[in-house]
Amino acid sequence: MKLKLRLLIPLLLFFLKIGFAQNSENPIKLNDFSSMSFLDRTEFKVSYFGNIFWNNGINLGAEYLLKEIVKVKNRKRGKRTNLHQFILDGNLGFTTNFSSKTDTGIFTNYGVTWRRTNKKGKQFSIGLNPLGYYRSFLPETYEVNGDNVDKVFLPGRGYYATSISVGIGKQRPGKKITGRFFNINFMLRTPYNAGILPAFNFQYGYRFNFKKKKVYEKD
Amino acid sequence: MKKINNYPKAILLLVVLFTTFSCSKDENLNDLEETIFVRHKDADMPAYIHGNASDKTFLIILHGGPGGFGLSYRNSTIKSRIEKECAVVYFDQRGSGMAQGSYSESGITIDIMAEDVLALVKVLKQKYGDDSKFFLMGHSWGGTLGPAALLKDQSDFLGWIDVDGAHNTKAMYLEYIANFRRVAAEQIAMENNINYWESVIDFVDSIAPEYNIDDMYRLNSKAFEAEVKLEDSGVINGIAESNDKNIFKYNLLTLLWNTFNTQSILDGDLFQNISYSDRLSEITIPSLVLWGKHDMVVPIRFAQEAFDNLGSKEKELVIFENSGHSPMGTEPDLFADEVIQFINENR
Repeated sequence: MKLKLRLLIPLLLFFLKIGFAQNSENPIKLNDFSSMSFLDRTEFKVSYFGNIFWNNGINLGAEYLLKEIVKVKNRKRGKRTNLHQFILDGNLGFTTNFSSKTDTGIFTNYGVTWRRTNKKGKQFSIGLNPLGYYRSFLPETYEVNGDNVDKVFLPGRGYYATSISVGIGKQRPGKKITGRFFNINFMLRTPYNAGILPAFNFQYGYRFNFKKKKVYEKD
Repeated sequence: MKKINNYPKAILLLVVLFTTFSCSKDENLNDLEETIFVRHKDADMPAYIHGNASDKTFLIILHGGPGGFGLSYRNSTIKSRIEKECAVVYFDQRGSGMAQGSYSESGITIDIMAEDVLALVKVLKQKYGDDSKFFLMGHSWGGTLGPAALLKDQSDFLGWIDVDGAHNTKAMYLEYIANFRRVAAEQIAMENNINYWESVIDFVDSIAPEYNIDDMYRLNSKAFEAEVKLEDSGVINGIAESNDKNIFKYNLLTLLWNTFNTQSILDGDLFQNISYSDRLSEITIPSLVLWGKHDMVVPIRFAQEAFDNLGSKEKELVIFENSGHSPMGTEPDLFADEVIQFINENR
């Protein structure tokens, strides 16, 4: 336990430094988007979700921009400008194993994503989704209680499913599709059997914003 | 009437569809491809049913492990021959394969898992009829679980097939040590892999003479390694390569995670306390004991012990001369011959 804490604390400090560290030599500008509409601040996303070999599915989601910081760092080669965003993130996904009927489920999760975008539009993000639910769907299922056997209606189980995603992406400002991304997602399902079930999945998909498209077309 | 005239193709299509689906159940019984789940005591466990159920004979296979997976046995002659004689039920046990559920560590015991097997039989009877006939086969750990289930209720089963089964796990620690010494001496005398077998003797010398779980795991791992060496020397046949795609039916991480968790819960009690040797006499249904002569994982001493102690009037012991722990893979034709003959004689 102590070892875990020793590893966890520096890691958290590292992320805090990435997210909030200030340097008097590095101007920071907090973008004001209080006048922006909900749709201006919201991007939608659709992505492949799965691990290719066993589970494959789709993930739909929305990202609501909470806070945006522009950081300018002075480097030898000149100024480096990075955009840091804090985003409220919600997902709804479906995954199944097409070669069996034993691993199908839908899930939804909600949390916060931190994303850094450099001036070339390359992005790096970490998303924490502590609020999550996974519902498995099973094929024909019979429940046995003593000598009674009954067919189960809509068989499956519900799990608390928290997840973390780490990924990269590319921003496409002013376009209908505002960016693409690749994430590695780690999900924990519990209570699963006598403990917790870990699962790794990939996400590859696109973000889009209806509002920006309209603006772009008018321009 | 006009509408009917306007849509003759649609009506024809509907008739064909209804005809097809109305016949499908009977046709499928000859070649079942079903996956159903058994929900019992907070666990949902898949049963993959394949093969010919035309006369409602089902062979339920209990996989090894603990923590193995049912479809690992859907290979070779089990698939190509035995499935043609009867329907084979590959069952993912509680905490294994793609079984899911929600229970505490006390919710996964041999006792409950034995009840799961009986629950599976009840489900199959519900689905396919009370006139269904059942045979039970257990391999390795399945040979622990099988007797545990039969000792609860053997009335639904027409026969028990014990394949290198660990009915006496409590005695395995000391038998491992004795068996390693015996096999090492034989192999050195035959000049097979002398350096390796000398290292095995050194390894056994390093094992504590009294049971402890760490050394038990070391012995168990060494047993699998030793079988590979026996295969290299030509003592054991190689397992024929399989083209099946069953591994794609199981998420590898889920599979390994379940195996690890289930073994960590069950193993301590299993290797220290479990023995059905004294109660095998209570199993009176016809029994077939199949064993690899060179089984290092569940040594051959237990084959004779199982055969001698079973209370069945009709029982047979078959030793596979060129096999280790998995004769269904190393001598598949002989394995299928014995199983099919046993089923046909007793159904």
